[in-house]
Amino acid sequence: MSHAVSFYLSTILVYLGVDILSCWSLNLQYGVAGIYNFAWVAFQAIGAYTAGVLTLGPSSGNGGFQQYIIGASLPFPVPILAAGAVSGALALVVGLVTLRRLRTDYQAMVMLVISVIATLVVTNVIGLFNGPAGISLIPQPLESTLNLSPLGYQWFYVLLTAAFTAFVYVFVHRITSSPLGRALRATRDHEDAAQALGKDTVKLKLFVFVFGNAIAGISGALLVMFIGAWSPGSWMYVETLVVLTAIIVGGTGNDFGVMLGAMLVPVAFNEATRFLPPIGRPGLIDALQWIVIGLLGLGFLWFWPRGIVPERRRRFPSRIAAPLGPPVDRRRPLGRARVGASASSPIAEPTP
Amino acid sequence: MLNASVLVPSIGFGLVTASILALASVGFTLQFGVTNILNLAFGDIMTASAFVGYAVNRAGGDIAESMLAGAAFGAVFSMVLNRYVYMRFIHRGTNLFGMVVVALSLGIVIQNLLLAIYGATFFTYNFSAGGQEHFLGMIFDTSQLVIIAIAVGSMAAVGLILTRTRLGKAMRATAADPSLARASGIATDRVIDVAWLMSGALCGLAGIVLVLNTSAFQSTTGNDFLVVIVAAAMLGGVGSPVGAMLASIVIGVVTEVSAGFISPSFKEVIAFGVLVVVLLVRPQGIFGHASAVKEVAV
Repeated sequence: MSHAVSFYLSTILVYLGVDILSCWSLNLQYGVAGIYNFAWVAFQAIGAYTAGVLTLGPSSGNGGFQQYIIGASLPFPVPILAAGAVSGALALVVGLVTLRRLRTDYQAMVMLVISVIATLVVTNVIGLFNGPAGISLIPQPLESTLNLSPLGYQWFYVLLTAAFTAFVYVFVHRITSSPLGRALRATRDHEDAAQALGKDTVKLKLFVFVFGNAIAGISGALLVMFIGAWSPGSWMYVETLVVLTAIIVGGTGNDFGVMLGAMLVPVAFNEATRFLPPIGRPGLIDALQWIVIGLLGLGFLWFWPRGIVPERRRRFPSRIAAPLGPPVDRRRPLGRARVGASASSPIAEPTP
Repeated sequence: MLNASVLVPSIGFGLVTASILALASVGFTLQFGVTNILNLAFGDIMTASAFVGYAVNRAGGDIAESMLAGAAFGAVFSMVLNRYVYMRFIHRGTNLFGMVVVALSLGIVIQNLLLAIYGATFFTYNFSAGGQEHFLGMIFDTSQLVIIAIAVGSMAAVGLILTRTRLGKAMRATAADPSLARASGIATDRVIDVAWLMSGALCGLAGIVLVLNTSAFQSTTGNDFLVVIVAAAMLGGVGSPVGAMLASIVIGVVTEVSAGFISPSFKEVIAFGVLVVVLLVRPQGIFGHASAVKEVAV
């Protein structure tokens, strides 16, 4: 493998890891719990900025050409973990305002507005994260201690990203395959029914919102420490739509499906257009790329709304429905069932 | 500190912004009220209409002709979009969240089509803003007075149609309960088409007055305005035209006054602050209903 190919491949693999984390993060919220988080990219951005300013030294460094807060020069892995914590904490604040009392359609709109407003605030409060120019020259983790060749460091970062991805997957899998995951899906499909079964749906949603956005923060941190710079241009609200499209293409609600989506949508699109010859006026290819992403989302919602790898339809053995009583005769109309005979099947039966 | 020489003119600017905002947010909220669709492609349709008006303007048409062309384009485009895209998706069983993604994707497609066609440059209508008029300490260009007049006229027309005509009654009935409306003999499909024609005309008109007031525009101009439109619609209570009108005045005046005293860069942030405070007290907006989300009208 030539040097250039190896460099290129390792870069793609890092992006892929970040995109997979992104898809899991948003899929937990949208795919599993049904939270309309159109502000997703803002949480990724907050993670990126947090990791950036915690890794960078005081802002007077490098001739003071950029201004930002904190500048703590903390060692790896503190900034990445702190990024997750800060994104999660902010998600808690946003979630407490939006997820408790607002109607779901209002939630979707408020999230969209939050995303745009966050960009405006960061762009205009220069002292926060260096305004429109963004922060740059962020040191890469362990670069000086490892003393690797640039290519060697690339592959080290691939391993680092893979380790974080595997670490996060353990938690994501624990959530989606547990009773908690079932409660979340119930909240998504029938919030009233879940409440009637005694589930505190607001608390469930808040939990997933905080946890999912903490992952978003970690994904942002990994990305920013790889590319070394972050500015408002990298987190316009439409970036959330790219991740959403990846989830819809891959299979909403399915951990492996959205992983596939991460490979197909953000990675494949960025890479495929890289090899196109520059045609037309500058920016034309970007515009066409966005058009294709938009059409891809529309096409999948039209033809394959469940995605390439649909969410597994879960069936539960009937003993869950009737733990102690005699077998339930399912042909009997529901209305005539003896009261208390069983937790009459419709609750456990997946809706067709 | 509060200084009348800054305050009074900025209220004037606020009234102009409020007029543009009212046209847009009433259109947006009507679409949601009648069909339960959050048309987040609204801003991009405004831009597309502005480009149609621009073509007429460059071909030698005057501003009135540009406005007519823009409004007509917005009306027909929105109606077609609703009938052949949104409604088709709903018939296939796309849920409310899916519809939001559909609308956002469509917006991205429209915006980038405009970018691909026209490029990332700024465009300006060929027109004169007219002389300055002083009114109670506020300063307006003649064109700004025209914008206010258009907004007041359109709002009055929308109000009269909704409250005084059989068509308006049918629209309100369709909004309240589509199946009951259909059972009562209302041709809900046609009522929905007319509602989207009306709101689309407002959208096109808003697009043109927006770019007349900011003078230079590009493929993202309408979409940049979308957040304020959504904020105004939510503040008023989504689905309530009267609420959207009042909220537009509040947001328009508050943003421009804050721009005069703090910084123009924080206009939208202030608008959002107002929205959050109101939603904390009244989660459904000023005139909204507290009820759960309705089923989408089919």
